[in-house]
Amino acid sequence: MKGNGDAPSAMRRALSSDQSSYEPAAKFSRSHAIMGTAVAAAGLGGARLIDRLLQTGDALATPSKAQDERILQLVLQLEYTEVAFYEQALRNAGLQGELRQFAQTALGHERQHLAAIRNALGSKAGPKPSFDFGRNTKSQSAFQETAIKLEDLAVAAYNGQATNLTAATLAAAAEIVSVEARHAAWARAIAGEVAAPDPVDKPITAKEAVEGLHEIGLKS
Amino acid sequence: MTANESPHGFPNFDAFLTVVDRDAALREVRETAETSTSRRRFLGLTAAGVGAAMLFTDATAKAAPRLAVSDISILNYALVLEYLQASFYTEAERSGALTGKTAAAARVVGATERAHVKAFLKLLGSNAVKRPAFDFQGVTENQRAFLKTAVAFEDLAVAAYKGQAPKLRSRPVLAAAVGIHSVEARHAAWMRELFGITPAVNAFDKPASRTRITRIVASTHFIVQQPKMKRRRRPPDYSG
Repeated sequence: MKGNGDAPSAMRRALSSDQSSYEPAAKFSRSHAIMGTAVAAAGLGGARLIDRLLQTGDALATPSKAQDERILQLVLQLEYTEVAFYEQALRNAGLQGELRQFAQTALGHERQHLAAIRNALGSKAGPKPSFDFGRNTKSQSAFQETAIKLEDLAVAAYNGQATNLTAATLAAAAEIVSVEARHAAWARAIAGEVAAPDPVDKPITAKEAVEGLHEIGLKS
Repeated sequence: MTANESPHGFPNFDAFLTVVDRDAALREVRETAETSTSRRRFLGLTAAGVGAAMLFTDATAKAAPRLAVSDISILNYALVLEYLQASFYTEAERSGALTGKTAAAARVVGATERAHVKAFLKLLGSNAVKRPAFDFQGVTENQRAFLKTAVAFEDLAVAAYKGQAPKLRSRPVLAAAVGIHSVEARHAAWMRELFGITPAVNAFDKPASRTRITRIVASTHFIVQQPKMKRRRRPPDYSG
């Protein structure tokens, strides 16, 4: 689709471009040595890095490339969860009609989001976690309800980090969050729900985001 | 920069969210949304009003907020888009041409856009541009024409907010703007679904520049009288 191919590279550019100077890849990884244990955690997978992020809390420091990366680790978990959720539901929930069309479209988008974030994180991207969605991917009604929860959560999680990101990474994330909002509204419309219940979408913290993902089915 | 801004992130976010809802428009959104659905949802209606209250910062409660000139310019640009949308939905609701799900959706979206207008007016105070005069040329009097125009307006608003968000200097204003940005995306998807086209076309929504958006809005000829900045303290110009 138009414009999709360059988004991962746009996000990588966003991450590797600094306001003051361009930082080559080698220096990019060196700067992470300063992050100490967070760097070690990055090599061990996303979940532990998320723990580090949660310890940091949401009153984060002034936006920086290192902080962008911690936030990208959070949304990586989110995108992994969305991809796995739609994959399993399309196999097991007996989806039909517009609900199936929605799931297929959303899955395609989430795969591209995941690829963009993995690409931006490079070797720092954690592996795919494990999931147990239980009954939520086993029937149309449970899928529909969970899809709304998950997409609303995604919107709130991205919005919650907006003020913590550098302008370049915020611009890249903004291209994703409105698509998550479209998914949320679409799923709500199919369910006969109010698609946009709030005049301003309420943000959530990183901690709330991770708790929400665990409730939905993220296991590690 | 606003007076209440912290140099470190956004530590007072919870306080920011709990600012009292003093605006009838916000209650209107909540009541409209509640009558439009029988069930509540995760992150749903209980948060209505609280979210919109994000725009009413301590700074606005005290006095005129000290916003950067560039932020005032962006907020006025957003205000014109909100005026456009609010007037459009209000006129469509009053025309009586909308029925069923479309009428119900238009009531919720219209109330939301009016709430956005009121919030921006409050935030900008005397710096706010006036409401332009609109002529929607009949598109509010026919349901298909209404939906087609609504899709265009909402997609435009998403691209416009996305283009400006990274340029905002004030973090509280940025937090509110991104929350509005995703609501406009919900509206776009909602109107698209009602119109019968794909609510989410691409994996990545692209931003649009202010120049491009302004050109598109001008091409509709819906704005028949351009808004003017309210007079500042500058003395009037005399030509003679």
